[in-house]
Amino acid sequence: MGKLKRTYQEINKKIARKEAVVMTAEEVITLKEEQGIEKAAEMVDVVTTGTFGPMCSSGAFFNVGHSDPPIRMQKVWLNEVMAYAGLAAVDIYLGATQLSESERNDYGGAHVIEDFIKGKNIRLKALSGGTDCYPAREVEALISKETVNQAFMVNPRNAYQNYNVAVNQSAKKIYTYMGILLPDLGNANYSTSGQLSPLLNDPDLRTVGIGTRIFIGGTEGYVIWEGTQFSPKSIPILEKSTLVKRGATLAVIGDLKNMQPDFIQAAYFAGYGVSLYVGIGIPIPILDEDIMRSVSIKDEEIYTEILDYSCPHPEKPSLGWVNYAQLRSGQIEIKGKKVPTSSLSSYAKARIIAHTLKEWIAKGQFLLQEPIALFSSSKELHRLKSIKIY
Amino acid sequence: MIKKKAILRFDSSTVEKPITYYLIKKYNLWINILQAKFEPSLGGKLVIEIRGDKRQLDQAFAYLKEQNITVDFLEQEVSWNKIKCNHCGACVSICPVGALKINQQTYFLEFNFQDCVVCGYCADACPVQAIEIIF
Repeated sequence: MGKLKRTYQEINKKIARKEAVVMTAEEVITLKEEQGIEKAAEMVDVVTTGTFGPMCSSGAFFNVGHSDPPIRMQKVWLNEVMAYAGLAAVDIYLGATQLSESERNDYGGAHVIEDFIKGKNIRLKALSGGTDCYPAREVEALISKETVNQAFMVNPRNAYQNYNVAVNQSAKKIYTYMGILLPDLGNANYSTSGQLSPLLNDPDLRTVGIGTRIFIGGTEGYVIWEGTQFSPKSIPILEKSTLVKRGATLAVIGDLKNMQPDFIQAAYFAGYGVSLYVGIGIPIPILDEDIMRSVSIKDEEIYTEILDYSCPHPEKPSLGWVNYAQLRSGQIEIKGKKVPTSSLSSYAKARIIAHTLKEWIAKGQFLLQEPIALFSSSKELHRLKSIKIY
Repeated sequence: MIKKKAILRFDSSTVEKPITYYLIKKYNLWINILQAKFEPSLGGKLVIEIRGDKRQLDQAFAYLKEQNITVDFLEQEVSWNKIKCNHCGACVSICPVGALKINQQTYFLEFNFQDCVVCGYCADACPVQAIEIIF
């Protein structure tokens, strides 16, 4: 480690004076190449990252307010999409992937969230058995940003550190959460913003932990916990290589009422179901030269595994590794065959997010929050041991 | 030579006519069938690429009109909602003719309508329903 040492306090003082030097994780690549790690680390205080991809493990809590007479909601629907009501009387949680119970199979929780952010009215229906203190048994109402007490997004798993490439070796077209996969290696789909991706820029999670203030859906939010299926352990993927496999994830929170439709978008994957595009940006403070080394990583240096999604098991056959520069070029080679690639996450939007966060920080509107606690680096994933399975 | 893409719609009274034969034979047109869907007694739809000189094309379209066959040119049939589109590129690899590309500088999606054969794969692949095929 070099001699540079910077603290969160020093950086925040500079941000407050609007003197902080902020760059995006893309811009800093050129700077590092021109100036070297040491000089670049001295010059830059904060590097911003961004990602805009479909993140199924998302949803929102609502407190819709009490009716008169009051009801203890036991079953709730928002625009005919069922929400979870097993909480206090009028607290509910709506999951992004829950499908509408109407005839529309391309509308779900994500669309309700999108409509809510756009300021539209949402039709609520609630049922209850009725109690002495909550006598009402059925209520219908229109709710919106203006009428609910709280609406905050709580996403158990967002911002996957890295994600595999999906292909299909079978003879039949398949419909997956990684999009439509054409037969006989007809296409290859991936979903990460690579060199702009938050957790690929802080691979050892030195600055991203509980309490980190982030950009989420166009407003500010926080990292609240490790994400579900968090597996940050680095596993070497090839002998005699520095390449490693990592799978850290984040649980995040943000105020739904302040989010912007540009950065939260409902998605429907044909033949699969509903998901939610979530825009996330994380600022990384340049505390030392090692962090500068991490944030200046580029697409050519980030590898991901190609997996055959025609195999219906969790351990899918690997067809090798590619880097994000190859993927982003529009074509990769698998088993000697040229295969066109598609990204499911939007690099253009990831760029806009990193630039927006950069602007907020440069203008002194967004201070960095030092994590209250950092994450464990040794967690491993468990498989469900089923007693019965069909 | 002019190249046009068109959708020809047939009803129950026109579905039996060998229209493609007449277009080639009488008007000397090059016909490339891109898509065809017919229900023998009900009618159907033929998506074609036609090449020929202006005069002969005009005559051919007049002939189709006479035969009660509706002709719609394809430019209007694919609608790309640029505001809804988030430029992810999910449509790019599924396009059989390379009409959709992510610009390597801006990373925004570019749609070359000239190359589009209106197969509709992109509309299925778009996660945010920004592409629609209007038939």
